[in-house]
Amino acid sequence: MSEIGTKRRILICCGTGCLANNSYEVYERLRNGLKGRDDISVQPEIKATGCNGLCEKGPVVKIYPDGISYFKVAPKDVDEIIEKTILRNEVINRLLYFDTNQKKKITNHIDASFYKHQHKIALRNIGEVDPLETDDYIKRDGFKALHKVLLEMTPEEVIDEVEKSGLRGRGGAGFPTGTKWKSCYKFDNFPKYVVCNGDEGDPGAFMDRSIMEGDPNTIIEGMIICGYAISSHKGFLYIRDEYELARKNMQLAIDKARSLGYLGKDILGSGFEFDLEIVRGGGAFVCGESSALMASIEGNVGEPRAKYIRSVEKGLWDQPTVLNNVETWANIPPIILNGANWFKEIGSEKNSGTKVFSLVGKVKNTGLVEIPMGTKLSELVFDIGGGIIKDRPFKAVQTGGPSGGCIPKKHMDIPLDFDSLSNIGSMMGSGGVIVMDDTTCMVEIARYYMEFLSEESCGKCTTCREGINTMLKILTNITLGKGQLEDIDLLEQLGETIKIASLCALGKTAPNPVMTTLRFFRDEYIEHIVNKRCPAGVCKNLTTYYIDKDVCIGCGICAKKCPVNAITGNNKEPHVIDVGKCTVCGNCFAICPKMAVKVGGASAYAY
Amino acid sequence: MLIKIDGCFYEGNSGETLMELAKRNNIDIPHLCYKDGFEGLGRCRLCLVEVIEGKRKKIVSSCVYPIQEGIEVNTTSEKINKMRKDIILLLLFRTPENEYIKNLALEYGVSKIDRYSNKEEENCILCGLCVKACEKLGTHAISLVNRGTTKKVSTPFDDTSKDCIGCGACVEVCPTNAIKLSDENGKRTIWNRTFDLVKCSICGKYYTTEESLKYTLDMLGTDDEEHICEYCKKKSMSSKFKESFKNIY
Amino acid sequence: MTVDAINIINNYPSEKRYTLAILQDIQREYGFIPRDTMENIAEYLNLPLSDIYSIATFYKSLSLTPKGKYTIKICNGTACHIRGSESIKSELISLLDIKPGETTKDGLFSIEIVNCLGACALAPVILINNKYYGGLNKEKVADIINSFREVATNE
Repeated sequence: MSEIGTKRRILICCGTGCLANNSYEVYERLRNGLKGRDDISVQPEIKATGCNGLCEKGPVVKIYPDGISYFKVAPKDVDEIIEKTILRNEVINRLLYFDTNQKKKITNHIDASFYKHQHKIALRNIGEVDPLETDDYIKRDGFKALHKVLLEMTPEEVIDEVEKSGLRGRGGAGFPTGTKWKSCYKFDNFPKYVVCNGDEGDPGAFMDRSIMEGDPNTIIEGMIICGYAISSHKGFLYIRDEYELARKNMQLAIDKARSLGYLGKDILGSGFEFDLEIVRGGGAFVCGESSALMASIEGNVGEPRAKYIRSVEKGLWDQPTVLNNVETWANIPPIILNGANWFKEIGSEKNSGTKVFSLVGKVKNTGLVEIPMGTKLSELVFDIGGGIIKDRPFKAVQTGGPSGGCIPKKHMDIPLDFDSLSNIGSMMGSGGVIVMDDTTCMVEIARYYMEFLSEESCGKCTTCREGINTMLKILTNITLGKGQLEDIDLLEQLGETIKIASLCALGKTAPNPVMTTLRFFRDEYIEHIVNKRCPAGVCKNLTTYYIDKDVCIGCGICAKKCPVNAITGNNKEPHVIDVGKCTVCGNCFAICPKMAVKVGGASAYAY
Repeated sequence: MLIKIDGCFYEGNSGETLMELAKRNNIDIPHLCYKDGFEGLGRCRLCLVEVIEGKRKKIVSSCVYPIQEGIEVNTTSEKINKMRKDIILLLLFRTPENEYIKNLALEYGVSKIDRYSNKEEENCILCGLCVKACEKLGTHAISLVNRGTTKKVSTPFDDTSKDCIGCGACVEVCPTNAIKLSDENGKRTIWNRTFDLVKCSICGKYYTTEESLKYTLDMLGTDDEEHICEYCKKKSMSSKFKESFKNIY
Repeated sequence: MTVDAINIINNYPSEKRYTLAILQDIQREYGFIPRDTMENIAEYLNLPLSDIYSIATFYKSLSLTPKGKYTIKICNGTACHIRGSESIKSELISLLDIKPGETTKDGLFSIEIVNCLGACALAPVILINNKYYGGLNKEKVADIINSFREVATNE
């Protein structure tokens, strides 16, 4: 309840996800509806914020100090929100979040299972500030770290602090950030450059987008601090072509920062000079690889180079360069402000701090989750994610995107940190966690990733270009029912060579999805090849459906949904699918309220 | 600096690549995209060798790897041989009917697998040497175009090139003879363009294109030169040498 | 080359590193890179045409052929894939009678498959001229196409 005279703050999420669901209209209607009203003693502050992370339940509207969070808010709900909540302090039940774990409605989002377990550092400001209002950022300790660095610390002290914190690159490889800065610092070759990798290309990952859109200043502050530490005066932000809002917000924030004296000459009177420039990507996943990214900034095609000489020695235009990921930059200001020890105490040994995961796929609560490193995968998927949609059986998660691997049920308790994940053959990658259930075909997933990679490969080296293409052909054959057992041997043989012989990380990690699915789901491959059957019911040529008569309640919904009238049966009696007529469209499988439609034996039409 | 390769020591210069060092000492490391006089490209991957730097072992492409003091190199091993065979297999998938790749496969005991072989005619292994040659010796008429498996070498828009001078440097450096050049009836056709050939004033054979000649003369800053082919030039040079030496001895 | 193209190119210093930026501005203005404009860019930057052509064919955000009035980008990110982007794709292919990479005869629609758009929680997602549409199924897709067709007829 708000007291008379206390200024209310209403925050409406305007990140890409909520914007797609008309959140901007909600924002505008709230602004217009609350303007100049004499029945409100204190005019509420209304802000458009960045992504709250729970995009599927958006648009999200948060009201402070009441502590009320409304989800799936439509423009037509605005009048009711004004009348009931703003004017009469009443909560609108139907707009509250229903927590499937706690099985109840939650008033304040921070009490929801999805948010309760989170520890926000990189995402600390998102959803709480208007990204275009630098003052909001400043009010939440923004640019305080920069003050401290420029006026109280030496470059060596800054590097020392980052090193001690144990921060490791959040973009994928997990290289110790402090070590990187220190190496670059040692080279006596100027000019030096600072680069932000905003080319987030992992399908399923959107944390960098969220940070760039929702809290651009944390990246700006982090980069200026690095510039000071290594004596660089110019930074570049390479932002993916597809992220238009991120580029727009980032540019506005940079311009504002410059006008306030945080960028440009003599920052905060320290004498230090630094500026930032945005470079727009061209739609190439390979440009997320650091040497390809730098080639792209230089005006070339995004082809990587062998990194026997590291970028910290010869990077952009052959000058010493520090390149870090968006999320890594976002962690720098809090580390400087709160100290290395504070950061080290979060997470696990050798994997300090938190990581932002994007939990997507067949999980009930999809969105961004920031948790301490070392949290168990099962906790992420079940306690935070709420488990599998429709409570279907869990099958696997894919971590690390196309460079990573799948993790099956038996390893569910694996701690989510760099080392544990790479030891099992996967990797952290950017933090994408794609949840799969029994209706996901692991062979098809491997094929999907190879298809993605074959289009994104720059084509420079033989093993990546021809190797991935060959693996794709093999996997396509298997999903079409044309596989042979030798194909598995060929996949493993080529996979090994592609891993070692490829020029860059894209090629070197490309076989991972194939190798890990072969390791943990070999039976599924063999089932496709020998029995011409896809157990998940995904590969159409290898799928037949049947109705389990012990489960079927005879409701007839499936028959109505069947486009070819292949299902027959009387009311309240078990129904039957005519396999001869069935086109394997999957409608009945998806729609059956009792999950009585099941994947049957081998297809008679497979060849 | 001293480097150990396959058990023997060799003297190397700072800034040199392993391939350059190997070539100087007649150490055989298989390669396709490397050519003396050009910087290493690292594209074909055939030149991979094992390097031991202190305690760390790693696989590097010798055409790009800068040598360092005290490293130990193995140019063959079970692991490396397996890799070479797989790389050749992958090339064979791409260009199953190309003579050079077929010979390489024979040499390394790699057999064709029909199911995954390219069904369309292809001879280019995308080593990129032709593009480099055109860059260094010619007019940047061709480049690597597209991305991934659709990558190819072509002129802009696959069209008749305005920039090509028909010098044929690209054909010279190609390891698989993938570029079509035909000299017929005083005309040369390459990259969809036909050039007039110039005759050698001494032996009468066609030896270069008009455009190539003009390009070279422009570079040299002269506009008048006798039209003499390489062979005749060498002959005339050697007879001049003969004359000079006659007077010395 | 039109005045617009000249202005777009002159906006940038004549330095190699602005090649992609210039091409993208031209792409946004014309929906593709006209051949003569590419030649002018090469001249302006003092770079070989073959280099510019390499860049124009490497980056997927650039196109050498004109796009439709409404460019439909179908996200094929993993989350979208798992949540049925294939069926969205086949629905669009059948509704518009074109394949990905093509444009309808009336020049109204073109379809592209793109990589993860970062709106994974709304999977499956399509983008039409920079507006996101999420949580799709076949019926919703048909409705969306019809509404665009109506707008086009009324114009």
